[in-house]
Amino acid sequence: MSTTHHTTGESMSAEEAARLSPEEAMIAGAEADGVYIVHRRERFPIAGTRAEKRAERTIAGVFLLGFLAAVGFIVVFCGAVPYEWRLPGTGSQNYRYFTPLVGGLLGLSLACIGIGVVLWAKWLLPEEEAVQDRHDGASGMTEQVLMAGTLVSGFNDLGVARRSMLKTTLGLAGGALGVVPLVALVGAMIKKPGRGEGQSLFHTPYKAGVPLVYYDGRRVGPDDLQPGGIATVFPGVEGGVKDSDSPTLLIRLKPGQTVKARKGQADFGWGDYVAYSKICTHAGCPASLFEQKTGRLLCPCHQSQFDVLQDAKPVFGPATRSLPKLPLTVEMVDGKQYFTAKGDFPEAIGPSFWERP
Amino acid sequence: MTDEDNLDADADLGFAPAVVDNAGRTAPTRTASRRPSGFRRRAASLAVLIGALTAVGGGYAMLAPTSGADDTAATSQDVEAGRQLYNTSCITCHGANLEGVTGRGPTLVGTGSADVYFQVSTGRMPAPVQGALELRKVPKYTEQQILQLGAFVQSQGGGPQVPPADADLRAGSDQLGDGGELFRLNCASCHGATAHGAPLSAGKIAPDLYRSTDRQLYTAMLVGPENMPVFSNNQITPEQKKAIIAYVQTMKEAKDPGGAGLGRIGPVAEGLVIWTAGLGVLMVSILWIGARL
Amino acid sequence: MTTTSDDLSKAPTVKGPKRFDKPRTPIGKAGRWSEDRLGAAGGMRKQLNKVFPDHWSFMMGEIALYSFIILILSGTFLTFFFDASMAEVRYDGSYVPLDGVEMSRAYASTLNISFDVRGGLVKRQIHHWAALLFMAAMLIHMFRVFFTGAFRKPRELNWLIGLGLITLGLVEGFAGYSLPDDLLSGTGLRIAAAIMQSIPVIGSWAEFLVFGGKFPGTVIIGRLYIVHVLLVPGILAGLIGAHMALLIKQKHTEFPGPGKTEQTVSGERMYPTYGMKAGGFFFIVFAVCAALGGLAQINPVWLFGPYNPAQVSSGSQPDWYIGFLDGSTRLFPSWEIRLFDHTIPPLFWPTLVLPGILFSLAGAYPFLEAKFTHDKSAHNLLQRPRDVPVRTGLGAMAITFYGVLLVSGGNDLIAKAFDISLNAMTWAGRICLLVLPPLAYAITYKICLGLQRHDREVLEHGIETGIIKLLPNGEFIEVHQPLGPVDDHGHGQLAYAGSKVPKKMNELGNPHGHKIRGFFYPVREKTDIQAELDALAAAEARGEHRQKELTD
Repeated sequence: MSTTHHTTGESMSAEEAARLSPEEAMIAGAEADGVYIVHRRERFPIAGTRAEKRAERTIAGVFLLGFLAAVGFIVVFCGAVPYEWRLPGTGSQNYRYFTPLVGGLLGLSLACIGIGVVLWAKWLLPEEEAVQDRHDGASGMTEQVLMAGTLVSGFNDLGVARRSMLKTTLGLAGGALGVVPLVALVGAMIKKPGRGEGQSLFHTPYKAGVPLVYYDGRRVGPDDLQPGGIATVFPGVEGGVKDSDSPTLLIRLKPGQTVKARKGQADFGWGDYVAYSKICTHAGCPASLFEQKTGRLLCPCHQSQFDVLQDAKPVFGPATRSLPKLPLTVEMVDGKQYFTAKGDFPEAIGPSFWERP
Repeated sequence: MTDEDNLDADADLGFAPAVVDNAGRTAPTRTASRRPSGFRRRAASLAVLIGALTAVGGGYAMLAPTSGADDTAATSQDVEAGRQLYNTSCITCHGANLEGVTGRGPTLVGTGSADVYFQVSTGRMPAPVQGALELRKVPKYTEQQILQLGAFVQSQGGGPQVPPADADLRAGSDQLGDGGELFRLNCASCHGATAHGAPLSAGKIAPDLYRSTDRQLYTAMLVGPENMPVFSNNQITPEQKKAIIAYVQTMKEAKDPGGAGLGRIGPVAEGLVIWTAGLGVLMVSILWIGARL
Repeated sequence: MTTTSDDLSKAPTVKGPKRFDKPRTPIGKAGRWSEDRLGAAGGMRKQLNKVFPDHWSFMMGEIALYSFIILILSGTFLTFFFDASMAEVRYDGSYVPLDGVEMSRAYASTLNISFDVRGGLVKRQIHHWAALLFMAAMLIHMFRVFFTGAFRKPRELNWLIGLGLITLGLVEGFAGYSLPDDLLSGTGLRIAAAIMQSIPVIGSWAEFLVFGGKFPGTVIIGRLYIVHVLLVPGILAGLIGAHMALLIKQKHTEFPGPGKTEQTVSGERMYPTYGMKAGGFFFIVFAVCAALGGLAQINPVWLFGPYNPAQVSSGSQPDWYIGFLDGSTRLFPSWEIRLFDHTIPPLFWPTLVLPGILFSLAGAYPFLEAKFTHDKSAHNLLQRPRDVPVRTGLGAMAITFYGVLLVSGGNDLIAKAFDISLNAMTWAGRICLLVLPPLAYAITYKICLGLQRHDREVLEHGIETGIIKLLPNGEFIEVHQPLGPVDDHGHGQLAYAGSKVPKKMNELGNPHGHKIRGFFYPVREKTDIQAELDALAAAEARGEHRQKELTD
C-alpha cells in the first residue's frame, strides 16, 4: 500500500492514481477539491453482523411497503374503486373513497421510498464529516487587476471615452429600441377607459323606462316583496342580467322604517321600496347581507356596513361612499304594476377610481 | 308526483293571510323554463289572480274553527291544544291576545303558523328572555305540539302558513341547477355557498343550515325570521323555494369526493391545514433527517 | 490541475490493478463514454464532493424547491384538461347539482377535471396543496435566513432573489387560484380589478389594460392562464436557478461550533450521503402533498358555483398567502382622499402601498443592518437569534404585524366560530396591529438577553448538576460541573463562541449531537488534519494496520 493520503491529485501521476483503491482515490480527489474528510467510519465496521442485517431488512421492508402501496394505487386507479360522482340516493357513494385512496396510497408509496432512502443514508452509509475550503470572497488580487485591465483595454479599443458621438447615437437607438417591446405589449393591450359599448365607468344599462327584472327575466312588481324583503334585480335589457355593474338590491322596508334621502334624491324610492347598487363602493363585491330589522347591509368581503335607513351610508368598515341609489317608478302592464327605472344611477357604481369626482 | 298534486300542494303552501297586509297569493304554475314567455307570464298572472282569490277565501275559511277540509288543516281540537300550550309558555311575553308585551316579546298577530313552526321547531322559542339574537336549540315541543301551537296563532291573526305535514318540499333533481343559482343569488351572501353561516354586523349571525329541515328552510324563507329578509312567494315561487331546498339538502347530503371536507369553509381552513399538518410533518421530517443518528 | 483519465489513457504501460482506458464494469463504461464526450471528470467530481452542512433548519428551502417541482409535474397534467376560455357553456357533466347551469368553459373544464377525469381531482388537489406549501416553505425559509443572519454579506443578492421569488409566488398563486373562474375566485378577481382601479392617475387604464376592458370582460382567464403556466413559472425557474447557483458558488452558511470556521464549511459530501438524504426528502415532501391531495379536500369549486357578478358567498377568502392583504384591507379605516374632482380610493393604501412598503423594507434590510452596525465584512458563520436581540426583535415585530393581518383576513370566520362580534374583531385587529408588534419587539428582546445571560452563566459557573452539598460551615451549595478549565475562584475561563452551550449533563461532549468529539479543543485547522494524515501515513508505512478513523 502506498502512502497517498496527503498526495493530492496535482502531484500524483496517473500511474500512482491508478493503483489507488476507490476510497483512496476518492480521498485524494476530494483533497484536490479542498475537501478534507476529517472523520470517516463504517456504521458497521464488521460486515454481516446481525445488527447490520436487521437494519438492511428494515429498510427493505420499508421499500417493500412502498412497492405494495404503488401497486395498490394502480389497482384502485384502474377501477377497483369507482370515481364517478353520483347524486345521493341514485347510486354508489363509494366515489368518495377514490381520491383519498389514490392520494393516500401515492403518498404512502412516496413516503416509503423517501424514508427508505434516508434510512439507507443514515444507517448504512459511512459516518462522515468533511471540511471544505470555501475559497470564497473576491478573486485573488492578481485576478482582479488582470480583469480590470481586460475591461479597460477593451473600452480603450472601442474608444468609449473618445467617440462620444457614437456613444450618444447608439444610446439613442438602443434606448428607443428598448422601449419598443414595452410599447408593443402595452400598445396592443391598452384601451381607453370607458370607450365602447357597455364599457362606461360612469353608466350602467339602466335608463329611464328600463324594466326591473329578476335573474330569470320575470318582471318585478310592487306586489312581489313582503315588508322586510329583498330581491336582486337587473335591468331588463339585452345582457342586463350578466352585466357586472347592474346587480341592484331592491329592498321593501318594514312598516315604521324610513329612509332619509340624499339631496336631490327624495323621489328615488317608490312607496316603501328603495333600490341600491349591489356592488360595494369599496372593492366591488356584492354587498348583500341585509338585516331586515336593523336595516344594515353588510359586505362579506371586507365587512363594510351600510345603513339603508340612512340611505345606504357606510357606517362601519373601510367603505367610504354610500351605495348609489336607483330611481324607481312603476308602470302598469295588463292591469298590473311593475317597476321600471326612472333613470340610471346618478353616480358611478362600484369602487372609486381616480377620474371619479 | 303529477302536476295536479303539485297544484293542490302549492295552494296549501301559499301565503294565505286573513286580514293583514295586501292580498295573499300563491303561484300555482310550474315554471318549467327559466325564462317564461310572455304568454306564460300572462298565464301566470291569471293563475296568480285565481290563486290569490282562492287563498283569500281559504284564509277566511281558515279563521272559522270548523275548517277541516284536509288532514293538515287545523281542527278545533288542535287550536284548543295550541291555546293551552300558548297560555303556559308564550303568554308572558307575547300577551293574552298575541299583542306582545313591551320589552318582552313582539306581537304574534299576523305572523302565522309558518313563523311559529320555524321559531319553535328550531328551539329558538320559547326563549327565557328576549335577546337580540336567538340561536338554534333543542326544540321543547314535539312536531305535533308545534303544529297545534301554530294552528292557534294562525287562528288568531292569520299569516303565512306552515306547509302541510305531507307536502313534499324538495324539487326533483332536475331542478338542482336552478335551485343552486337561486341559492347563490339570494341565500349564499349570508349563509355561505356551502351553508356554513356567517357573522352579520355587531354580534348578529346568519346561522349555518346544517341541521335545517326542509320545512324549516321553507318557513324561514316565507317569514324571514330575526334579521333574515322575507322571500315571498311572488318573488321566489314555491317551486323555486323547493328547488332551493333540494339544492341545499343535496349539497349537505352529498359526500365530499376529495377527502375530508375541512368544514367546507374554504381557504382559511386550508391555510391552517398546510401550516399545521403539512408543515408539521415536514418539520418533524427535517428534524429527523438533520439529526445525526 | 487534477488528473484526468485522459492522461491515464495516454499511459499504456501502466501495469496497475485497474485499467481505466478499458473499463469492464457498466459504471466504468458509462464513465468512459461520457468522459470521452464531455470531459467533465474533474468538474463533476468537484460537485460530487461538495460539502453541505446538515442542520435541520437548512432544509426549509428544500421544501420550497421540491414543492415547485411537484407544482410543475401536477400542473403539466392539469394543462392537458383545462380550457382557459370564458366562453359560456351549459354544464352537462357528472355533477348533477350544477346541471344546466351557465358557466365559462374554464369552470366547466375544472369540473370536468374534478369529476370526469379519472384521478383528476387528486391531481388538482395535489397541485393546490403544493402551492400552499410552496408559499409557506418560502416564508419559513425566509424567517430562518433572517433570524440567523444568513442574508449578510456576501449573500444579500440571494436575499433579494428570494424576496423576488416570494413576490412572484404571490402573483403565480393568485393567478392559479383565479383560473377555475368559480364564485370564490371570481370575487377575488373582482377585488383585484378594484385594486387596479384604485391606483391614482392610471387606475382605470390599468384595469382596462389587464382585463381588456371593464371587469370581467372575456380575456382575463386566458391571459392569467399564460401568465400562470408560462410567464411566471419561467421567471420563477430562472430565479430559482440563480438562487441555487449562488448557493453553490458561495457555499452554505453554517452555525458556529467546534471545527467551524469562516473559511471552511463542514458537513457531508453531496455524493453519496447528502444527496441521498436530500433525494429522500424530495419523496417525503411529495408524499405529504400527495397525502393531503387525497385526504383533505381543497378548493371544492363545485360547491361554490360559477362566477356571477351578482352573487357572493359569505366567508369569501383568498388563499392564505394573500390573506394578509385581505386582512389589511379589512382593518384599514375608511379614508378616501378627494382632490380637484379626483379620488384616491381607500383600497389603494392597504393593498398596494402597504405591501410595497413591507417588501421594500425586507429588501433593504440587509443593507440597512450593515449600515447601522458598520459591519462590512463577509460572514459565513451564522448567528444564534439570541445573540442579535435587535434583529430578532425586529423580526418578531414583523412577524407579529404580518400575523395580525393574516388573522384579520379570516376575522369573519373567527367571529362566527367563537361567537365574537364582527365589529369587535375588526377593532381588535386594528388595535392589535398597532400595539402587538412593539410589544413583540420588547418581549423578544428581553428573552434574547435572558438566554444570553444564561449561556454566560453556564460558561462561568458550569452546569447545574442537581447535587446539593452541605459544607462544613452548614452552607448548602449546588455542585456545578465546569465546562472547561477554571480559575482560582472556580470560574470558567471559556468565552462564549456563538454556539450552543450545553445546559444539561447529558448534553456534555455531544454538542449538536456532532460526532467530532472534543468540544473544548481549539478549532481544528487544515494543517492539523494534514499533520494527522501524515502521522497516519507514517504509521502505515511502519506496517501498522490501516485505520479508517482519521480523527480521535
